Amino acid sequence: MSLLDAASEHDALELLHDLGCTDGLPVVVPTADRVDRMVLATGYEPDLVLGEMGPVYGSATIEKVATAAVMAGCTPDHAPVVVAAVRAICQPEFDLTEMQATTHCTAPLMIVCGPARHACGGIASGFGALGPGHRANASIGRALRLAMINIGGARPGSSDMALHGHPGKFTYCVAEDEENSPFPGLHTTFGYEPDQSAVIITGAEAPHSTFFTGDRDDPKSVESLLNVIGLVMANPGSNNVHLREGAITVIMNPDHTEVIRRAGLTREDVQAELASRATISVGTMRRINPTLFMQGINADDKGRFSEAADDDLIHVLKDPNRILVLQAGGSGLYTMVMPSWCAGPHRNAIVHSEIELDQVCEIPGMTL
Amino acid sequence: MRDSISIARLGIPAVALVTEEFWPQGDFFANSSGMPEVPRVKLPHPVAGTGEDKMAEVASDITPSIVELLSS
Repeated sequence: MSLLDAASEHDALELLHDLGCTDGLPVVVPTADRVDRMVLATGYEPDLVLGEMGPVYGSATIEKVATAAVMAGCTPDHAPVVVAAVRAICQPEFDLTEMQATTHCTAPLMIVCGPARHACGGIASGFGALGPGHRANASIGRALRLAMINIGGARPGSSDMALHGHPGKFTYCVAEDEENSPFPGLHTTFGYEPDQSAVIITGAEAPHSTFFTGDRDDPKSVESLLNVIGLVMANPGSNNVHLREGAITVIMNPDHTEVIRRAGLTREDVQAELASRATISVGTMRRINPTLFMQGINADDKGRFSEAADDDLIHVLKDPNRILVLQAGGSGLYTMVMPSWCAGPHRNAIVHSEIELDQVCEIPGMTL
Repeated sequence: MRDSISIARLGIPAVALVTEEFWPQGDFFANSSGMPEVPRVKLPHPVAGTGEDKMAEVASDITPSIVELLSS
């Protein structure tokens, strides 16, 4: 890895901006000393390769990932999550190169599960967990983005062709509120033990707010809640409706999961119910975009709907397991729904990686 | 671009069709994949949704360039 020269911290920052190495915001200047200390915090050798990041196929070494973590403002506690996240998105199933290059706004949404939520700097899962003010969430998500920029080579308008992008492309990291959730940890559905930690990553749009207020006396409240989430999932403008693949993330606030809890539904029940309710009629799509939809963007759907009746329903997801259902956020009226890009050879597959807390050495007095 | 590069690597003649808005991205991919000279032809932007007449006009305009690159 090459070193740059600058006369001052200020000049170094300006140089990094000029070279396109930042996300547009000021970064912590990654001096050799700071990077060395972050490498130490990972517990790995600096030249260990976590994977290859497209579109430039940069080699994601621990040293380069540590550099991104320093620039993002991470503390040593955050390092294991950043390492796990890079390892996850380098898996071929994530289609990182295609994701970085697409015109869609997709960004990797990191969901942190297990003890690492507390051990790695206190990753927020409550009020405003997807917004500003939480250092761990902000820094960890930003580190992944800076790795995608500087190791993967994503630059807006030349290699990252997102037409608009979205604010989650700066940072997009949330912890699951496992302690208050009616569901087991989301990571356990991917084969992890409850006492393990993992980061689950899916390419996602910005959150779509979904309003619902329940009535404790109404036994059909749960039906209403599932119906409205299903409708938002079936937003006719989203790629999910046109490509009918990908993933959809549903982050429910504690009041909404309480409705689920009272109805006695499991996570698998909610996934199945949402998959059955996330529908749109053939007639609606015919009116919106007759030529495109009837031809079928998805090769599997070619000609499939040309003879269908207007009342026939189209299910926007074929596999309920592609719906990530979890609790996070403060108590109130809103659930967040994140549709997805759905494209790439693996159709926006969900990836995950264990957060290895036992690799980390405690370093007394270590600050960056 | 990636398809074109992958096909060219197999030794099969290939020409990528790239609209002018995506030309810089084409250069980027060609350079990053180590094939800066991979053949490509520039199209106006956009092509999608411009109607059959316009697409036929674009196809007519670029066909000689494609044939020339495939023959060279």
